[in-house]
Amino acid sequence: MLEISGLTTAYGGILALDDVGLRAPEATITAILGANGAGKTTLLRTVSGLVRPRAGSIRLDGAELTRLSAEAVAVRGVAHVPEGGGVIRELTVDENLRLGGLLRRDRSGRRGAAEEVYAMFPPLDDRRRNPAFTLSGGERQMLAIGRALMTDPQVLLLDEPSLGLAPLIVAQIMSLLQRLRDDRGLAVVLVEQNARSALSVADWAIVLNLGRVVKADEAGAVAADEGLRHAYLGF
Amino acid sequence: MHQFIVLTLNGLTSGAVYAALALALVLIWRSTRVLNFAQGAMAMFTTYVALSVIDRGGSYWLAVLVALATGFVLGGVLERVLMRRVESGPPLNAVIVTLGLFIFLEALAPMIWGGTTRSFPAHFSIVGFTVGSKHIALSPFDLYTLVAVLVVMATLVALFRFTDVGLRMRAAAFAPEVSRLLGVRVGRMLTLGWALAALVGSLSGVLIAPVVLLSPNFMDAVLVFGFTAAILGGLDSPVGAVVGGIGLGLALSYIGGYLSPDLETLGAFVILIGVLMMRPEGIFAGSAQRRV
Repeated sequence: MLEISGLTTAYGGILALDDVGLRAPEATITAILGANGAGKTTLLRTVSGLVRPRAGSIRLDGAELTRLSAEAVAVRGVAHVPEGGGVIRELTVDENLRLGGLLRRDRSGRRGAAEEVYAMFPPLDDRRRNPAFTLSGGERQMLAIGRALMTDPQVLLLDEPSLGLAPLIVAQIMSLLQRLRDDRGLAVVLVEQNARSALSVADWAIVLNLGRVVKADEAGAVAADEGLRHAYLGF
Repeated sequence: MHQFIVLTLNGLTSGAVYAALALALVLIWRSTRVLNFAQGAMAMFTTYVALSVIDRGGSYWLAVLVALATGFVLGGVLERVLMRRVESGPPLNAVIVTLGLFIFLEALAPMIWGGTTRSFPAHFSIVGFTVGSKHIALSPFDLYTLVAVLVVMATLVALFRFTDVGLRMRAAAFAPEVSRLLGVRVGRMLTLGWALAALVGSLSGVLIAPVVLLSPNFMDAVLVFGFTAAILGGLDSPVGAVVGGIGLGLALSYIGGYLSPDLETLGAFVILIGVLMMRPEGIFAGSAQRRV
């Protein structure tokens, strides 16, 4: 379980996160919602160690992650798929996947994990040797998620996986996240601008505004709160 | 026809040396976006180290090995203690640091080894092979130079293509932040990149030293040609650097042979400016990447 408490992050003098708390148990999807500039991306970047927090703590199954480097956080089982996926365009599909597997201790498990990803995403299987820039937006998101799975994570942080994708592809990605939760027991933390589709699959949701948590509740309760929806979620 | 063959063979050999230095520049450019103006001076320094080994009775091969090893360590240490401090700043800072390093090394070398020119042994004969009763322009040393550069290039390609550390290095160069999220220690990869680059640069030093004479600034001209070759090749592509180096060697050899040897350096600049005007991304730049 990922546990965050009192997390405060500042850029210069400006607070991007102010006393944020969050619990993401295994086999759940937690949606992080809010408008642009609410601090959603900063929250993920702080958890994965790309940004150092000013205060607060981040724990994974009780072990402190708070001041570790991004490399060390990744090794401990937190996979962060950044906005747009962060697929490395110049590398082939297979090289992108292999890169994800490099931090696994079990060398023999790497190839098997890659084959699992290919079985999960047939379009990638046909394009193993193609450079990643030849993929469509949806395929890139699949590759990014597949590469994150190669690291054998316990926690999957996703930053706007639906951005710029057609509704049909978004629906596929959301149902994929449900499968990852149910079959692999992953704790999925899903940052979304598209609150409606995020809430359709999430178990829990927190709503951020200007770096503060304004609501943390079951996804159904957040979706049912009309005032909250109008004020922060835009639907 | 005979002159053409002679010029071609000479061009291939000097081109191989430019290619090695260009390769060194490319390795650093693609991982850190820094043009290392000290690359030539670093190679000069390691070549002097090799000469010290020979002066103390060491064999040629030991000297070459020591030069390459010194280059590897020198490159890694310089990245770790010097470049690391300026990498996050504006790019100009890093460039100025490499310029400062260039001046420092060229001032340090005469303090250690004296300022007079020295000769460097060739190990292989520099007299052309005999075919039938005729000498041809290709000497055993030329052949050795070509083979050494090709072997190093092939080793690097294999390292980048087929090994885990090569994949990490490429990923760290293309996308440092994403690489960190996947557990790649990007800082280490940068150190390793500098170390490998300096090793390849050291090779260019020991290969050219027997042909020119060893002096504290003997690599300056090679640096200029290496830059030209690297830019011809697109700065990002190791294969482009080698093709650019050999192409430049050939072009300069023809210019020197058919026109005048005095025009060689000028020729390099004309080629450089021509490429920058017509195809600034370099002839071999990953044109495929730009299709999207």
